[in-house]
Amino acid sequence: MTETAVKSGPSRRDFLKIGGAAALVVQAGGLVAAGNVQGSSAETYTGWESFNPATQFFNRKPFEFEGPAHLPVADVRRPSHMTDYVFGRVATFQRAYEANPTWTPDDPVEDLGVPDPLVAFYKEYPERLEWDYRTFSETIPTRDEDYKVYGNYYKLADAYSSGFTAHAAYLPTAGSPPEESDFMEMQRNWPEPKPIGDPVPFKNEEKAAEFIKEVAHRYGATLVGITRAKIDYFYSEGWAGCPEDYDYSKLPEHWQYVIVIGVPMEWDTVLASPQASTSYEGYDRVSTAAVRLEGVIKNLGYPARASTPMTYYDMIVPPFAIEAGLGEVSRPGYCITPELGSNCRLAAVVTNLPMATDKPIKFGVEEFCNSCKICAEQCPSGAISMADSPDEQEWGTGPVLRGYKHWYINNGACYNFWRESMGPLGCRLCVAVCPYSRKDNWIHQLAREVDPRDPTGITRESLLFMQKNFFDYPEAVEYRRVGSGGHFASYRPEPAFLHAEDFLDIPITSPHAD
Amino acid sequence: MFFDGNIFWLFMGILTVVVGGGFNEFAKSRGWTLTWWKWALAVVWYIIFMMGFYAWGTLIGENEGSAGFRFFLMIAFISAILAVGLWRLLAIGSSKNVNTQ
Repeated sequence: MTETAVKSGPSRRDFLKIGGAAALVVQAGGLVAAGNVQGSSAETYTGWESFNPATQFFNRKPFEFEGPAHLPVADVRRPSHMTDYVFGRVATFQRAYEANPTWTPDDPVEDLGVPDPLVAFYKEYPERLEWDYRTFSETIPTRDEDYKVYGNYYKLADAYSSGFTAHAAYLPTAGSPPEESDFMEMQRNWPEPKPIGDPVPFKNEEKAAEFIKEVAHRYGATLVGITRAKIDYFYSEGWAGCPEDYDYSKLPEHWQYVIVIGVPMEWDTVLASPQASTSYEGYDRVSTAAVRLEGVIKNLGYPARASTPMTYYDMIVPPFAIEAGLGEVSRPGYCITPELGSNCRLAAVVTNLPMATDKPIKFGVEEFCNSCKICAEQCPSGAISMADSPDEQEWGTGPVLRGYKHWYINNGACYNFWRESMGPLGCRLCVAVCPYSRKDNWIHQLAREVDPRDPTGITRESLLFMQKNFFDYPEAVEYRRVGSGGHFASYRPEPAFLHAEDFLDIPITSPHAD
Repeated sequence: MFFDGNIFWLFMGILTVVVGGGFNEFAKSRGWTLTWWKWALAVVWYIIFMMGFYAWGTLIGENEGSAGFRFFLMIAFISAILAVGLWRLLAIGSSKNVNTQ
């Protein structure tokens, strides 16, 4: 009689199978944890992780084209500080309205008392007049009342923002015409301004561009590109330090190159738009970097002049950013870049230092913006076009803006909501909700690299499907004031360090309480 | 931080080997003959499936946990569909009358 061996416990095969299954579960959990660490990692905060050339990591070469990126399709009109530039226009309107407070849009615009160019502008864009009037007759007084109730809720956001403005008054602004100020050194505290020295020659234009880009990054620029100056994008009047009778019809001879730099606003706070975020995070850094860049160029003996949000703009910068290959024009009108998306604040330096210029790029923004429309759907003021393409716009001037094909933006409606929102002045919601405005982790790297290389558009439509169906968005009306159907919503909650109720011993009323 | 360090990814590599070993034994028990292309398909499927977890965690880290979970569900759904097809492909050429003892 033989005995049959009876096995007890799992076999070797079962052990391996069970071990494999257990490893799978552990690995899945590990990947969730690793993903969590990557998603929140400081290294993914493009432009805020370091001052380093590596921040401009997108390989633009495959997407370059000869350019120019902008071709006029009609008679070109240069932008005006008094009309197109919203702050210049509303300031002019405000002065006239305060002197003539009984004026209403039912009265002739000539009776308002604004200069003739603005009268002509308002006749061409009557909706801007309506919005500018509404801003000062209704929105600002209402906002003042709202602030008495909810202002303390945004106390820390206001304070945080004001910190970024602290040294704005100390940034040098040109005090005389370009032919003089651009040739003077920038150092303060000297009894007399000193002229810059003789130009130090570079070995070639490529080396000059290489050096300028390297130092621009080290001065704080996340992105930098170089292009040729073009008069179409310079304001038609009002350059810094220039008298009214200055000849604005041509560029000064030494305004030959434009160095464009860009930095992001902080990635957590910008998501708290439109209420608690601040543009000054970006303005401060980009202005400081541009002024430093002006300094280094002058030190090498070349005239230079910075145009920055904290000093002064002699030009509209986005067209130059696009020509310099930083990105593409978008539905809301600004430059979307591969690295920063819409979250890119710009400044520029003009000079005659000979440098190799960059080429514009096409990496799919035009097609994406045609399909996406999230910014337009979310915009509480309705300032952004909902048309399927610039060619199909039914309002404003259609697809032509000052002679160039462009999306139409009602900056009067946009500014009106600036003055309705709580917290630091402004909105930035279109920046926050833009699918391109994302941090630099593997998911967004994948989207950034695959979509521009997919000629079928399947990737674009898939990404948009996920963006619109997986991510939560407030209704546009929720961003508006309490009493207008909203509750001063933000796209995403304010970062914890801006929660006033957690830090301040003051009475606080939350607009979200009900 | 452990979860973004070299030790963690070494550990993940070891786990991948263990998962592969377990899969190999599972295939043998089913009588499947694992050719190179079956291994390749299985690896691709596994990468897609695991990517769902990694993406979920990443979006949690971005404070977009809800979106992350929805993305994970989508990947899980796609993985389930792919798994059915993969299963049939893996079974091609399997031995009959499999003795699993």
